[in-house]
Amino acid sequence: MEQILFYIFATMVVLSATMVITVRNPVRAVLFLVVTFFCSSAIWLLLEAEFLAIVLVLVYVGAVMVLFLFVVMMLDINLARLREGFTRYLPIGAVVVIMLAIMLGMLVGPEHFGLDKFEAPARQAASYSNTRELGMVLYTVYLYPFEIAAVILLVAIVAAIALTLRRRPQTKYQDPDIQVAVQRNDRLRMVKMDAEKRK
Amino acid sequence: MIDWVITTLGHLPVVVRTVILIALFLIPLMLSVAYLTYAERKIIGAMQVRMGPNRVGFFGFSLWGLGQPIADAVKLMFKEIIIPTGANKYLFIISPILSIAPALAAWAVIPFDKGVVFADINAGLLYVLAVTSIGVYGVIIAGWASNSKYALLGAMRSAAQIVAYEIAMGFALVGVLMAAGSLNLGEIVAAQKGNIGHWFVWPLLPLFVVYFISGVAETNRAPFDVAEGESEIVAGFHVEYSGMAFAVFFLAEYANMILISGLASILFLGGWLSPLAGWDAATTLPLIGPILDSGVHWLLIKISFFLFVFLWLRATFPRYRYDQIMRLGWKVFIPITIVWLIVVGIAVLAKLPPWWGA
Amino acid sequence: MLENYLPVLIFICVGLLVGTVMIALGFVLAPHKPDSEKLSPYECGFEAFEDARMKFDVRYYLVAILFIIFDLEIAFLFPWAIVLKDIGLFGFLAMLVFLGILVVGFVYEWKKGALEWE
Repeated sequence: MEQILFYIFATMVVLSATMVITVRNPVRAVLFLVVTFFCSSAIWLLLEAEFLAIVLVLVYVGAVMVLFLFVVMMLDINLARLREGFTRYLPIGAVVVIMLAIMLGMLVGPEHFGLDKFEAPARQAASYSNTRELGMVLYTVYLYPFEIAAVILLVAIVAAIALTLRRRPQTKYQDPDIQVAVQRNDRLRMVKMDAEKRK
Repeated sequence: MIDWVITTLGHLPVVVRTVILIALFLIPLMLSVAYLTYAERKIIGAMQVRMGPNRVGFFGFSLWGLGQPIADAVKLMFKEIIIPTGANKYLFIISPILSIAPALAAWAVIPFDKGVVFADINAGLLYVLAVTSIGVYGVIIAGWASNSKYALLGAMRSAAQIVAYEIAMGFALVGVLMAAGSLNLGEIVAAQKGNIGHWFVWPLLPLFVVYFISGVAETNRAPFDVAEGESEIVAGFHVEYSGMAFAVFFLAEYANMILISGLASILFLGGWLSPLAGWDAATTLPLIGPILDSGVHWLLIKISFFLFVFLWLRATFPRYRYDQIMRLGWKVFIPITIVWLIVVGIAVLAKLPPWWGA
Repeated sequence: MLENYLPVLIFICVGLLVGTVMIALGFVLAPHKPDSEKLSPYECGFEAFEDARMKFDVRYYLVAILFIIFDLEIAFLFPWAIVLKDIGLFGFLAMLVFLGILVVGFVYEWKKGALEWE
């Protein structure tokens, strides 16, 4: 059962990842990337990495890909112009691809990570909570990397604002604080004047 | 008879049995969705001193218009699905499916009673949050694939809004987790055991309010329905949808309302626990004792209450302006939740009774 | 642990199936008589002009990026929240520092006006 599910999801990951780089419509490519993430999350789940699998969906599918969609949907991508350079860059591209393939081929396999020296971990019981185990070490043993992650996120906030924030002085908008704080005297001036005689 | 059904179900393969049970659950859910639209029209009608639907009935009897949702469903089924020129055909058809599938799939981890749940997983709440965050794709894709300016405007508004309120919602959920010490929804309810005073709504009151309002905003319901905003952008992201394709969006919205109500009941109001639980004089009474004791009916009552609030909000409040919505989500809710998380953290560590006492 | 996830998988499949069946039902049962007026995108009676997929304000990207950052923050908070009772004061202070650093970022974006929707 597990093996069948693994092969189903693995095939779907490979197929949808291939579709990501072959479909012409960029929005459709992003959606295939979503499918890829979803199926990889299922594979992580098969490895009993429950927390990471669901966080992969939450963060990548639920957040990062939404940003990708925003970007891709709103860009005017001219396909014809993108294709122009294809033949010119083909030789360099081919060399890079071959080298990458060789490197991956040399690296993939359990013996490179020393995994063949360990036995596969036993299946966990139904009550096993991956999240709890993670929490027990993340905030105590790995405290230092954890706080560094906060600093990295802070840098990301600052960078995002620095890169994208544009003030637009000419746009008019309402400020609720000022609206609420308005006093009668700011708007209305009572003028005392004598009644005038009709001419 | 019932024993026979249970034993036969027990002999079936797990997959077949689960599919049958899911079907048995989805049919009432779909019916409730249909009748929620009826309740909405009746309740808002009453609030506005109107009758609401009162003609369509069964077999010649009008029955207060109870046949209306069925008639609507049949009508929509026989309406043409128009695919506008310049639309991306596949994406146009896929987006309603992307919208309803998460709204249904999230129910997999919702417990109805002690141990009565489809999937008793340890990361239940995380799963709900992840699955519901996929729902935003339905809206964005629908708006983009339609090739209509109104649809695109609605989709962008809706996406930015859902995104802003999801953060406030996430923070509010973290508060519940701190209080319960578990991601499993069944255990979260179990942590609220005791009488009505043990429910998390009391120590987490600000988070509860933030959660429910964010839930209203996430489902694009009034007063946060700028994504549809009839008076501004016609019908927003689903302006080009007709027939069943529109109906699926509609169903997804109402299914999400029920889901948010169910989650609010489970996380803050003790799910299936009775407010009288622990008061033996009441729960051991003959005849009405079992009704006063904890059970699935209390969950249904709580869900109905939240659904009523959804409809009540719609009848009462005018639509928010867009910049006010964003201001509320980012500048009001997020600071409130962060402050309250720290308060809850101190309370949990100090073992504040009656919720975290020894 | 894995067997608990089987109903989830089945439920997701059933959810997709329900949506697909309903749309398919609509296509099978409903008439299909397109004409060019009916299929034109709705623009309040005007002829549709230019492409509907226009460029959008960069502000939407900023909101999306900030959303990702805060979503990650929440992902960090989840395991912490459920083990809070076990890791005690030390874990609480660790998270206070984490939140403190991010609140600095939040205050920065507030003061910079990134949360302003003009």
